[in-house]
Amino acid sequence: MRLDIFLPFLKKPKRGSEPAPDPLPLRLAKRVLPRALFADRATGKPGLARKWLKWIGPSWQSAPVRRICQAACLGLFLWLFFYVCYPYSARPAPVSTAWQPTAIDGESQITLSGGDLSDGSWAAGKTVYAARKAGPQTAELGRVTIVRQQGGTLIVRPAESFPSEVIEELQFDLGGAWTLSERPAGAWPSHYADNLAGKEWLHAESLLIIDPLVAISTAIASRTWVWSLVSAAGILLVAILVPRGFCGYICPLGTLIDLFDWSIGKRIVRFRVADDGWWVHIKYYLLAGTLLCSLAGVLVSGFVAAIPVITRGMLFLFDPLQVAWARGWHNVPPVGPGQWISLALFFAVLGLGLMKPRFWCKYVCPSGAVFSLGNLLRVSERKVEDTCIHCNKCVEICPFDAIKPDFTTRVTDCTLCQTCGGVCPTQAIKFVDRWNTTLLKIENDPPTHETPLGRRGFLSLAAGSAAAMIGTGGVVGAVKLFGADLSEGSTSLPVRPPGSLPEREFLTACIRCGECFKACPNSVLQPLGFEQGLEGLWTPAVNADHAGCESSCNACGQVCPTGAIRALPLEEKKVARMGLAIVNPQTCLPLAGREACQLCVDECVAAGYRAIEFTRVGTEVDELGLPVEGSGFLAPVVQADKCVGCGLCQTRCFAINVAERGVLAESAIVIEAGPGKEDRLLRGSYIALREQEALERKEAAPKSGSYLPDFLD
Amino acid sequence: MSGHRFLRRAWFPARRAWLVLALLALVQATAAAATVELLSGASFECTVLSKDDKNVTVEVIMSGMKVKRVIPLSSVYRVTINDKQYVINPRSPVPEKKRSAAKRTPPTTSAGPTDDKGALRTRTAIEAWIKEQGRTPPDWFEATPLNYPPSLDLSWPEKPEGGWNNQKNVGQYIWDIVNPNPSKWREGVKLMHHLLTLHQDDRAQRTRIMVELGRMYYNLHEDHARAAFWWQQAGVDKTHSPPGCSIHLAECYWRLGNKQMAVDHLRKMRSVPYDAIKLWADMGEPQQALALVESIAKNPRGQHHLAYLLGGDACRVAGRYDEAIEYYQKVLAVPSQDPGKGQIDRCHQRARASLEAIRLFELTDVASIADGDYRAESLGYEGPVEVEVAVRSGRIESVHVTRHKEKQFYSAMNDTPAKILAKQGVKGVDATSSATITSEAIINATAKALASAAEK
Repeated sequence: MRLDIFLPFLKKPKRGSEPAPDPLPLRLAKRVLPRALFADRATGKPGLARKWLKWIGPSWQSAPVRRICQAACLGLFLWLFFYVCYPYSARPAPVSTAWQPTAIDGESQITLSGGDLSDGSWAAGKTVYAARKAGPQTAELGRVTIVRQQGGTLIVRPAESFPSEVIEELQFDLGGAWTLSERPAGAWPSHYADNLAGKEWLHAESLLIIDPLVAISTAIASRTWVWSLVSAAGILLVAILVPRGFCGYICPLGTLIDLFDWSIGKRIVRFRVADDGWWVHIKYYLLAGTLLCSLAGVLVSGFVAAIPVITRGMLFLFDPLQVAWARGWHNVPPVGPGQWISLALFFAVLGLGLMKPRFWCKYVCPSGAVFSLGNLLRVSERKVEDTCIHCNKCVEICPFDAIKPDFTTRVTDCTLCQTCGGVCPTQAIKFVDRWNTTLLKIENDPPTHETPLGRRGFLSLAAGSAAAMIGTGGVVGAVKLFGADLSEGSTSLPVRPPGSLPEREFLTACIRCGECFKACPNSVLQPLGFEQGLEGLWTPAVNADHAGCESSCNACGQVCPTGAIRALPLEEKKVARMGLAIVNPQTCLPLAGREACQLCVDECVAAGYRAIEFTRVGTEVDELGLPVEGSGFLAPVVQADKCVGCGLCQTRCFAINVAERGVLAESAIVIEAGPGKEDRLLRGSYIALREQEALERKEAAPKSGSYLPDFLD
Repeated sequence: MSGHRFLRRAWFPARRAWLVLALLALVQATAAAATVELLSGASFECTVLSKDDKNVTVEVIMSGMKVKRVIPLSSVYRVTINDKQYVINPRSPVPEKKRSAAKRTPPTTSAGPTDDKGALRTRTAIEAWIKEQGRTPPDWFEATPLNYPPSLDLSWPEKPEGGWNNQKNVGQYIWDIVNPNPSKWREGVKLMHHLLTLHQDDRAQRTRIMVELGRMYYNLHEDHARAAFWWQQAGVDKTHSPPGCSIHLAECYWRLGNKQMAVDHLRKMRSVPYDAIKLWADMGEPQQALALVESIAKNPRGQHHLAYLLGGDACRVAGRYDEAIEYYQKVLAVPSQDPGKGQIDRCHQRARASLEAIRLFELTDVASIADGDYRAESLGYEGPVEVEVAVRSGRIESVHVTRHKEKQFYSAMNDTPAKILAKQGVKGVDATSSATITSEAIINATAKALASAAEK
C-alpha cells in the first residue's frame, strides 16, 4: 500500500545517487509553467510552489493533496447548494408574438413582419413552433425554421413536418398573426424542472447521500429500502481503503470547521479543554442513540449528522442573503423558532472548536463514528518505523488528535490525511497496508498511560451506554408524547410537498436536511417549527400565504436525499394532489356578497390547472323573472378532481385581499391536507390514479343525446 | 403529355365532356389536400405549390406520376382546402360589374371578418355552408360528456316555480354556471342538444331550445355557421324574434363573408335594437351607427345612456377619439335615477373605464410631455408596482421599476421597460409571457405616469 511504490516519482532520491529523469507530467508542467515554480534539483532548493504552500501553513506543506481535496469538496458542496439548487436562473421558453404573414414565395418561404424580437434569441437556422389564433383558442400550425432576419421581418421556411395543406391554404389566405415559440403552443411549462436537470450533472444531494448515517438511520426508521444506502455502502467501501478518509478529505462541515478554527478558534484560548476527558467517546453514544431512536421509528439523526447540519446552516444563514440580494427582501420567508434552533445548533457545532480544534469531528460527530467503526475493517493504516526520533512534531500537527504520546496511531481517529508524514524529519511515518509490520517502532515508549479497556474504560462505556439508552428513551418518549397529531379529523395537518410519502412514512424518512427549501422557487416550502410537535421539526410544509407551488417545477423531489419526497417526473408531479383548495363561504368577497373578485380563478387558469370555476351568486331578476345582466357576483367553485393543491390561489388572495388591501383577515381560499384531499402514494403512478378516477366518472355519467333531432333528419 | 393538354382544354367550356371524364379518371385519388374547381365545371384534386397574382401552380398525380401545372387564376371557380373554400371567380351568371369586383384576390390583412377570412362568399354559398355545417356536429361533440346536476329539471318550464335556483332550473343553470365557465361551454351545448331531442315534439319548446342553441354557438363558441343554422331553424330570420338574436344573425352573415346579406337583413327589421349600433361600427360603417345613436337620442323614451355608450365605442373602434370622449361624457351626464338605475350606473362605470383607457393609451403623446421624471403605480401580483419614467426632449429615456413586492417576475422587470423604450410608448407593448400580471402592471403604471405628465 505504499503510494511511492506505485507512483515512483514521489520517491525522494537517495543521497549521492544519480537523480532519475523527471516523469512525463512534471516535464510537461515545467515546459508550460514558469521555471521559478519548481525546485532546483541540482541545489535542492525549493521552488515557489513549495514556498507558497509553506507560507499558507504547515499542514498545506506536509499534505497538499489532502488540503486541495478538502477545498475542492467544500467548493463542490457550495456549488451544488448555491448554484445547482438555486432555482431563479430558470426562464420560461421565449415566445414571440404578433408576426403577421405578409407573403409566401414559390419555395413556400413565408415572410413575417411586425413581431417582437426582444424576448429570447431568434437566430437564423433555429427551428421553432408556430401557432395562430383560431377562434377563441390558439392552434398549433407546425414547426418552421428561421431563414434570416431582415430589419423587422423574419423569413421562415416550413419544416418537413409542417402540414402541406396549411401551406396551400396560405397561398390563398395568409390569415392572422403568428406566435413563435420554442415549445408547442399550450404545452405544459417545464422551465424550472429543465433548469435543474440542466445544471445537475452531479446530483444536488450528492454529498448528503454519501453521509452514511443519513442512509442507514433513514432505512432503519422507515423500514424500507432507501436508495442512498448504495452510495453509503460505496463510501464505506472507500473508507476501508482510506479509513475515515471522508472526514479528512471530503466532509464540507469538517473543512468549514477547519476554516473556523484557523480564523477564529486559534485566537480564543480561554475555553480550551484538556487533551483527554469523558467527552472523547460521545460520538459513539450519539450514534448508538440515534440508531436506537431509528429502531423505535423516530428519525432524529438529521439533527446531528454532519452533512444535514452544514446544509441547514448554509440554508438558514446564507440562503436568505442570497435570495434577498438577487430577488429582494420580500422574497425571504419569515423566520420561525425552527430556524433559530437550527442556527443555534450550527453555531454550537462551530463553537465546539473553541474547546479544541475539530472538537466536533473528533468527539461528537455521529457520522464520523460510523467511519470510526468502519475503521475496524481497514486494510491500510499509518505506521511508525523505528527510525522515529521522538521529536513530537507529528503529535503537534495532527488535526485529529489521532497520534498517541508514543507516536503510534489511534486507528479509529486517523483520517489518513498524511500530514504527519509530511512533517516527519526522518520519514519514519509510512502509510502502508495493515499487515506491513516490519521495522515497527516499540510501542508505549514513551508511555501513553492508556489502557485498552481497563476499569475506568469499562465504567465510562457503561455510563455512556446508559446515557445513550436514557437519551433515546427520553427522545422517543418526548416525540411520541409531543409528536404529530395524525388522527382522523385533525385540523392541523401540514400540506406536504407534491409526491411526499404517506405522513407516517414521511416523518420517518425525512432527514430534515433542508435541501428542498433551497431548491423550491419562491420558498413555498418552509420548515415547520413545533406545529407538528418535535416530530415535525424542520420538515417541509407548504406556506401558501407566502407563495404557491410552481407548475413547471419538480425540484423538491429531485433533491431529496432519502426519497421522503418522491423524485417524480414533471408529468407525474403535475397531477399529484398535495392538498385541496377550500373556499370559505363566510369571507370570500363575492360569496359574502361584498364585491366582485376573481383573483383565485384567474390564477388557476394562468397556471393551467383550470380547477376553479365560477358560479354566479346573488343574481337579480326583473319583473318577467329574467336575470338582470351584470347583477350578482361570480364566485369561485373548486373542482376537486382538478385541484392539486398548489396554493397559487391562496397566495394571490392573501397578497391582495389580506396584505395589500386589508379587506380580509386571512385568505378566503386555503389549501388543506388530509384524507380525501391529498394523494400520498408510497409507490405507483399518480397519472394512473387520475385515469382510473376519470374512467369511473365517465361510467357514472348519463348517456348523451344525439346532435340532430328527428324532425330535421 | 396528354395531361397537359387536358388541363388546357378543360379551362374552356367543355366541348368534349367525354374526354374530360375519361381523363379525370386518370387523376388518381391521392393525399392531395386541395380541390380545384374550374369555371368549366371540371374539378380535380391536387397539391397547391404556389400562387401569384395571375397563376396558381399545382401538382397533380397522373398515372402515378407527379406533374406540375400552371393554371391561370381567371379560369378557376374555387379552391377548397381543408373544408375551407376560396372562391376566385363566382360561377353563377352575375352582372359583369360585380364579377370583376369579386375577381380580385380576397383581402389578406385583418381588415375583414375574423373567421373564414378572405373567403368572400356568395349568398348561395353561405346558405349552403350554413346548412352543411349546421347539420353536422362540431368535431368536439362526440367526445364531450353529457354533464349536468342531477337536480336539474329537464322539463324546463317557461315559468319555473320557487325562487332563483341554478341547480334546478335549466335557464338559471346556464346563466349562473355554464356561461361564466369556458370549461362548461361544450357541455352546455351538449345539454341543449339533449333537451332538443327530449322536447322535439313540442313546437314552442323546441323553438325556444333552438334559439338558445344559436345563442350558445354565437356567444360561447363563435361558431357563426351553426349559430345561423339553429336561428334559421327557429325562424329568427323571418320573425326577427327575439330581436337581439336577429341582429346577431345579421352579424353571422357578415362574419361568414357577405356584408350585403347582413345589411339586407338589418334593413328588413322593423324595430332595431341597440345592438345594431355595435354591428354597424364593427362592419366599418360608423356613420350608420352614429345615425342610429342620434335617432335614439331624439326619442325621449330611449335609453340615452346606452346609446351614447355604444356611440362612444363606435367612435373608438373607428379611431375617432375626440368624438368618443364626447359621447362618453354624454353618458356620464345622464343622471343616475330609477327606473333602470343599476343599468345606468353600469354604463357610467364602463364610460369612465373607456375614458381612462383612451386617456392612458390612445391620446398620450410622449413628444408633447415636458422633461422630467414621472412616477405612478399599478397593482401587480402581490401589490403595487411603482415605475419611474424619465422623459427628455420628447423621448422616453428610461423606465425603472422603483418599488415592487413581486416574487415571480422572471425577466418582466427588465424586458417590459425595454419594450416600452423601443416602442417609445405603451401602445402595442405585449406583456412578457409567464409574468403577465407583473408586466401589465408595469405597462399600466407607465401609461399612468405619462398621462399624469401630459395633464400638467
